[in-house]
Amino acid sequence: MATLQSTAPPDADRTPDRLVVRRKRTVAQRFRHDWPLLLLALPVVAHLAVFHYWPTAWNIIAFMDYSPYRPFWENPFVGFAWFERLFADPYFTPALLNTLKFAALNLVFMFPLSIVLALAMNGIISIKARSAFQSIVYLPHFFSWVLVVTVFVQVLGSDGLISNWIMGGGGERLNFTSNPDTFLLLVWMQWAWKDAGWGMIIFLAALASINPSLYEAAASDGANRWRRMWHITLPGIRPVIILLLILQIGSILSVGFEQYQLQRQSIGYQSTEVLDTFVYYQSIIGNQGESFGTAAGLFKGVIGLILILVANNIAHRLGEQGIYQKS
Amino acid sequence: MTTTDIRATATDLRIKPRRKSNRPIWDEEPSPAGKAVKALFLLCYAAAIVLPIWAVVATSFASEEALTRAGGNLLILPTDVSFQAYREIFSGGALTDSLVMTTMLTVVGTAISMVLTICGAYALSRTGSLLHRPILWLILLTFLFGPGMYPSFLVVQKLGLFNSYWSLILPGAVGTFNIIILRAFFMNSIPGELLDAAKMDGAGEFRTLFRIVLPMSKAILAVIALFYAVGYWNLYFQAVLYTPGLDTQPIQVVLQRMLMSSQGLPDGAQAAAQYQSQGEAAPTAALKMAVVVCTIVPIVIMYPFIQKHFTKAVITGAVKG
Repeated sequence: MATLQSTAPPDADRTPDRLVVRRKRTVAQRFRHDWPLLLLALPVVAHLAVFHYWPTAWNIIAFMDYSPYRPFWENPFVGFAWFERLFADPYFTPALLNTLKFAALNLVFMFPLSIVLALAMNGIISIKARSAFQSIVYLPHFFSWVLVVTVFVQVLGSDGLISNWIMGGGGERLNFTSNPDTFLLLVWMQWAWKDAGWGMIIFLAALASINPSLYEAAASDGANRWRRMWHITLPGIRPVIILLLILQIGSILSVGFEQYQLQRQSIGYQSTEVLDTFVYYQSIIGNQGESFGTAAGLFKGVIGLILILVANNIAHRLGEQGIYQKS
Repeated sequence: MTTTDIRATATDLRIKPRRKSNRPIWDEEPSPAGKAVKALFLLCYAAAIVLPIWAVVATSFASEEALTRAGGNLLILPTDVSFQAYREIFSGGALTDSLVMTTMLTVVGTAISMVLTICGAYALSRTGSLLHRPILWLILLTFLFGPGMYPSFLVVQKLGLFNSYWSLILPGAVGTFNIIILRAFFMNSIPGELLDAAKMDGAGEFRTLFRIVLPMSKAILAVIALFYAVGYWNLYFQAVLYTPGLDTQPIQVVLQRMLMSSQGLPDGAQAAAQYQSQGEAAPTAALKMAVVVCTIVPIVIMYPFIQKHFTKAVITGAVKG
């Protein structure tokens, strides 16, 4: 009976020993009380242990000359030798640069697109038009990358719909979906098609949470549309923008795998190689070995961890909530 | 009648004839040019999404002659309706197998994921219980650091799951983000008094979960189930990584091979050879588009039921995560 034990008597004129009623329960007592909750948590804990923390522990082989053909403890430790080899690898630096390029593209051209869409949509007064528009633009988020790439090839490829129209008008074939030079634009268009609408959701919710009387007060003080947006709307969604920026910065090295792997053959590996495809093609398909691939993945994980901690710290200093707080 | 009432009525009378929309009174009507630009922007964006999907559907119903006449691989206006492509998909060949397998994968995977997520979220929603904080940390830490592709691959191999259907379900069965979303919902939207009352009446944790908490969370459970189901239905990367040797591949892998073979790319060579050995022509545009339609249809059917709850789920996750 936890509730009875924790209520101390309010009157203080009792003897001191009677006041000690908030007896701490022993672990055994708590276990007897909480075992159903522990039982419920067990499958998830077991799952994370096997599929998250066990592989995390396997990262140790990035510091070993690991071979699956000998007992684990006979693998010699080699320090940072694999990382040295990684940074000297002729394919690694381009992959890292490509990854950063796509991440920057996302940050500079994708993120604002969702905000602009949300602002434009927030201006739609008719509720019917709003929900129709939302239904349409959220849908592609649920499509697979295979489907998105297929549709892009069908529409913009050299035999595609638009290419045929151009040919019909006497023009030349389009080679947009197999041209490494314009791949960055293609990636951006695919993102915009698939996820810009979905990215809008969170901004729309933030916009809806702004108190309308602020707008009313500003309008009656003579602030026009643009001033209201600058002084009310944008500050109103600032915490959300910062939150998403932190998340984006933390995942800068994780730009995805499927989109690049799927277009690797038509575009060429030089433009499509990112860190994840690098690990896959060098270490799982290729013969660079277990330790090499693990080192590349660990590099990515550690940089991601550092970035997310730094970004969160900066957000705290700016007086924003960030993603977690020191508690 | 007080003065304020009269004034309110007067305002209504003055405003009403002029106002057709429910735009707030203080908001001035935007300029026609501004309105046009905004409308054009939104319409173009919506059209860029709808038109390709429409062309895909139209092409999937086109006959081969119509496609040849149009001289392309997508049609905007269908000239005739043919079910040839769909007949081919459901005729019991490799495509049928793949669709059946992907459906089973989605159903089994979603069920497993939901059970794990619900149990975990409920256990973690009871703050102050034994080991509550360590378990919560165990989950939150997964957001900060991922184990990496190679070690995960190694563990799947060591468990003997390589080239097994279970490797498509088990490694990704728990979405820790979904657990946090659901936990936040349990904690914020289900009144604690209700749980206390159930306890007073002698209901244990399991009974509370099944009789009180779950019936009150149907909407959010539907959204999370949709997220999981879409993940399994669209599964591609895991199949490439963990099950390259399976005969029956998930539908996304099959679609990818069809795409590659029609682009004349090396990855498609295997698929093209397979078609030739079976005495079939390479997939026509109609067949490819029909497969695309088959992968879209389940999503589009589920979508309207769940769409109105998206925002809630996304926001809960973002704010409490």
